[in-house]
Amino acid sequence: MMPSLPIWQFDVLLLVLVVLFAVVALSIRNLMGAAVVFGAYSFMMCLIWAGMGAVDVAFTEAAVGAGVSTVFIVSTIYNTSATMRSRPGGIAFKLFIGVVVTLAGVFLLSALPDFPDWGDPNSPANATVAPYYIENSIRDTHVPNLVTSVLADYRGFDTLLETIVVFIACIAIYSILRIETAKSKTDEPEEDTATAPPSYDPSDSLIVRQASRFMVPFMQLFALYVIAHGHYSPGGGFQGGVILGASLILLAISFDLKFILRQWREKPLMLLVASGVCLYATVGLACMFTGGNYLDYGSLDSVLPNDRAMARSHGILLVEIGVGITVMFSMLAIHINLASNGRFDRGL
Amino acid sequence: MEILAYILISTGLIFFLGTTIGLLRFPDFYSRMHAASKGDTLSTVLILLGCICLVSTQGEMNWLLGLKILLIINFIFIGSPTATHAMMDAGNKAGAEPWKKDSE
Amino acid sequence: MLLVLVRAVKGPTVIDRLVAINVIGTKSIVLLLFAGILFGQLEMFVDIALGYGLLNYIVSIAASRYYQHRRCLEPTHTANGGQPSRWKS
Repeated sequence: MMPSLPIWQFDVLLLVLVVLFAVVALSIRNLMGAAVVFGAYSFMMCLIWAGMGAVDVAFTEAAVGAGVSTVFIVSTIYNTSATMRSRPGGIAFKLFIGVVVTLAGVFLLSALPDFPDWGDPNSPANATVAPYYIENSIRDTHVPNLVTSVLADYRGFDTLLETIVVFIACIAIYSILRIETAKSKTDEPEEDTATAPPSYDPSDSLIVRQASRFMVPFMQLFALYVIAHGHYSPGGGFQGGVILGASLILLAISFDLKFILRQWREKPLMLLVASGVCLYATVGLACMFTGGNYLDYGSLDSVLPNDRAMARSHGILLVEIGVGITVMFSMLAIHINLASNGRFDRGL
Repeated sequence: MEILAYILISTGLIFFLGTTIGLLRFPDFYSRMHAASKGDTLSTVLILLGCICLVSTQGEMNWLLGLKILLIINFIFIGSPTATHAMMDAGNKAGAEPWKKDSE
Repeated sequence: MLLVLVRAVKGPTVIDRLVAINVIGTKSIVLLLFAGILFGQLEMFVDIALGYGLLNYIVSIAASRYYQHRRCLEPTHTANGGQPSRWKS
């Protein structure tokens, strides 16, 4: 019924688009324009990964690179200057840079013929470990989505350390940017935006506020669906956490930043960022208490009323929830830090 | 049902062509955004409606899939014009000059 | 979509580029669904399309809010590099 197009044309088109977008993003002098085009470039990469069939990676790239990351860059540009200054240096310098970059590119590309073929069953990745996962994943963990079971169960340590990396990124931004100004310690009169004159905030808009109020509950519901359904469809903890964080960032940018700060204060926010990692680690410890190795969810079957494979499935779900919590509040904390330049009172 | 899907998708593509031409040819930022937003939203809604019809012809009707595409249509229908409003407001506050007929 | 990119490159003001990227984002959702139809497994790609449709909206709102606060299309060199921005209403 449907005409079957050869898939390689789609891939070639996307590769051309990616290169075009990258060149455009790098050649725009105005940083805001470059930031926005960079977000579109990120989404082209997501399309390439979706074209290759790696839907989980594509989902994460779309959520992080094309969504939240662009907002972070815009917040940073808001607090710093918005021009790329022209670098001093004559034509010889630029020629030297061009030669170095070309040599590095040729050197990297010369390794290309040594790659195994696309989907080669004899390549090292596909011949040794992958058949075990493909054959035994459903029997061991009752999780049809192989990516989730490999990520959270067979390679659980790596995911724990990735979550810690997200946590460290949040702490790093917090510790670099956060300044306690003297003004925040004195009694500042609480500006009630409801009684302030309407022209106080230049970006106050009823339409944007109402549309955001409409969309945020759906975003959060969809993100919870993505976390919980990660066993059967592309998704999981990271993607759902990023979309949850993005919903809170949407509230922060369509209403005022003070609106979010009134509800999520600094100390509970930081504690919640840490609690996701703690949940992940606690699940591992609970496995040790019930007699297995660290992060061996199968030993939880003495606690949970299921057999061993379902216990692993539930363990994966608990771990994904932990990851989602950490990522969600990390996104919000990073946005508040970047947008208000560390002062935690006003911002983008 | 299949013919309906193709009609909808091709109509959406025609509108998108109009959007692109408008985006390239209009002299002013405000008129460009006007063309881009209306044509873009409408063409996306039409193409996605065509996708729902296509999906319903492949085997039995997958209601969840159709519902999800309907949700995408819903968010684009509400989100894209609001984003246009916000950008128009930003352009106005930032001081972009509207094009006048005599000042070429 | 390539033609829209031309506007993104050419656009004399920055907001032109913003509009062009918004259009490209919306059309990319459609492209994702087409990729799903080509692969025959639309169920996987619908989730990604739904997620990106929500996030495209956030980027547009954030960038326009930047210009609403800055009130100036051309980038200004801040005299005090890195200090918090002024809040002139």
